Amino acid sequence: MPITRGLVARDLRVAVENKEILKGIDLTVEPGRVHALMGPNGSGKSTLAFTLAGHPGYQVLSGSATLDGEELLELPPDKRAKAGLFLSFQYPAAIPGVSVANFLRTARMAVRPEDLNPAKFRKLVFDKLDTLDMDPAFLGRYVNDGFSGGEKKRLEMLQMAIIAPKYAVLDETDSGLDIDALQSVGRSVNALRESDEGKDIGFLVITHYPRILKYVPADVVHILIDGRIVKTGGPELANEIERDGYDGVRDEAAAARA
Amino acid sequence: MPSGVSETLATLDFTPTAATLDRVITFLDGQGDGAASDTALRCEALARYEALPAPGARPSRGWKYDYAALKFEELRWTSGRIEMATIPSRPAPRPRPVEAGDDVDRPALATENAGGLFFVGATRVDAPSNVDPRITVVPLTESSKHHFAARLAGTLHEIVDWRADKFAALATAFENCGAFVHVPDGVQLDTPIQIVFASAPDDEAVFPHVVVILGKDARATVLERHVGEGDSFTCGIVEVHAGDGAELDYAVVQQTGEAARIFFSRDARCERDAQVRWHLAELGGALARTVLGAKLAAPGARAEVSALFFNTGMQHVDLTSGADHTVGPTSSDTVVRSAATDRGQGRYVGNIVIRPKAHRSDASLRDDALLLSKHAHIDSIPALEIAANDVKAFHGATVGSLDEDALFYAGSRGIARGEALRLITLGFFEPVIARFPGAALRDEIRTSLDGKIDDATEIDL
Repeated sequence: MPITRGLVARDLRVAVENKEILKGIDLTVEPGRVHALMGPNGSGKSTLAFTLAGHPGYQVLSGSATLDGEELLELPPDKRAKAGLFLSFQYPAAIPGVSVANFLRTARMAVRPEDLNPAKFRKLVFDKLDTLDMDPAFLGRYVNDGFSGGEKKRLEMLQMAIIAPKYAVLDETDSGLDIDALQSVGRSVNALRESDEGKDIGFLVITHYPRILKYVPADVVHILIDGRIVKTGGPELANEIERDGYDGVRDEAAAARA
Repeated sequence: MPSGVSETLATLDFTPTAATLDRVITFLDGQGDGAASDTALRCEALARYEALPAPGARPSRGWKYDYAALKFEELRWTSGRIEMATIPSRPAPRPRPVEAGDDVDRPALATENAGGLFFVGATRVDAPSNVDPRITVVPLTESSKHHFAARLAGTLHEIVDWRADKFAALATAFENCGAFVHVPDGVQLDTPIQIVFASAPDDEAVFPHVVVILGKDARATVLERHVGEGDSFTCGIVEVHAGDGAELDYAVVQQTGEAARIFFSRDARCERDAQVRWHLAELGGALARTVLGAKLAAPGARAEVSALFFNTGMQHVDLTSGADHTVGPTSSDTVVRSAATDRGQGRYVGNIVIRPKAHRSDASLRDDALLLSKHAHIDSIPALEIAANDVKAFHGATVGSLDEDALFYAGSRGIARGEALRLITLGFFEPVIARFPGAALRDEIRTSLDGKIDDATEIDL
């Protein structure tokens, strides 16, 4: 059987505390493409993100999730990251006492143990800081400890740029960001996509609101409602949601199922 | 004896009894250096030891160690000194057995110091040392007490309340080694004074007494180290007097062997605008009991306590800290971080006393404990006693396990669970480590904690 390149979910059903949240997700994010996953609160967007990343609180009932053909669901979170998956958290955890610099280096070494001497690593970090408009003083602070919402999201983008994964899931990266922060997130994603390391990254951009897609244009838009992808289309689908909200799509889906 | 000369070494079988004390006093009186031992004081101290209850019968929650069960079998009481031709100059990377004749990789004085003393058991190793000529760093003996009697008055036996603590009383009764450090008015030292206690290869009962006096506006750092792998019993006291405007960093790095027992009472008196900063890293030993105190005796005085312990295997650490605000305005800031895994047991008692006259004082006490295995246990027992109005007093304490969200977050970055656990655990101690003096010392503590994570057999929940 040929290997399907991409981040692929097949009939993925997931429960949290015995309540089924995802009711059969089929989705393929190809290398180099941007897929948006949009949906109202409670539709299961973050559940998909955490399930892909391997959070222990999510119980997979059936289906599969593969990364360039490698099954992810059997792997612990760190092995999934090593396979090439990156999750940008909606609410990144703080790690007090661990400096950003130390954390970045440890993460990069874990995912790509082969490369970068300290001087090159330093240059990489400073280049990426520059792209993100981040003060180098950031490096000496403890990971997400006392960070503002915007600072946390910038650190997520910094980590993504430094790890340069094969596939990145951005979970509500736009939530709680002001327009400046959103622009710098957009700049960072686009700069990464234009770089040699980043041009083949496949993105799954999870969002409630379409506004992030103005900065990170999607090739494909999926609408998730009540644990199912009810509609898939081009970028115009995001505009439709912006104009009409989720009600139209929800009614359409209900009618189709009836 | 190797290149050295032995002198006036006495060796007795130790028991905490009047019979042993009689032999101790007979030996000390027979030294013939013109200074009679303070027989009455030692006898009174032994009487206090016998009369006082064992510490910790108070509300102790999960703490199980019973001091009444303490055994003193096959311990020797020794006193004296040997001379060595070579300077013990290098700290060993990890604790190891120390023998008096062994001068390779001996845990000893770091090269950078303003003077220091080195003991193997209670035996002073008398080696050339580069003491800053402006200061006094001498062994505390009956004769040095006599010689420096005027300077020691008001400090010696006056700072630590040995009449109120069973083990401070025991240390006073059987004192067999120690140091006197004096930094005169206005002298500010750039490098630390180091006092190293290495355990002897055969089991000793060691009773150190360290006295540090800082004159007006003097500044110094004292580093007290405990190293070696002998099954020693150490019971000591440290007394500090910081004169007006003086600043002292007093750091203790305790890395005794895994069967060692080590008890210390350390107390300080801070005069006007004086600052004493206690730094304590309890890393070794089977049973460590430490009482750290500071009396803020005049306006502007300040005390800081930064303490950490990480109990692995069967280690027990029992730590009490206290800040006594006798007048105002005075300030104190206490930060304690403790962790335990395997069957490690810990107890921290944090006392803050703000007396009626201590108006406008400011006290902060923060302690956090991290439990890394099912059988590990740490008690946190804060006690704030506030008798003045218009004061600021803060207290916060937590006992918890590792943050699963942080572990998952690190995992999602490719960091395997074991490595994430190490990272987060080391990070947990960082707020205390960051307050220790000197980058080299801070790194040494990080390395030692890292090694303890390696040695832990059960470090997950």
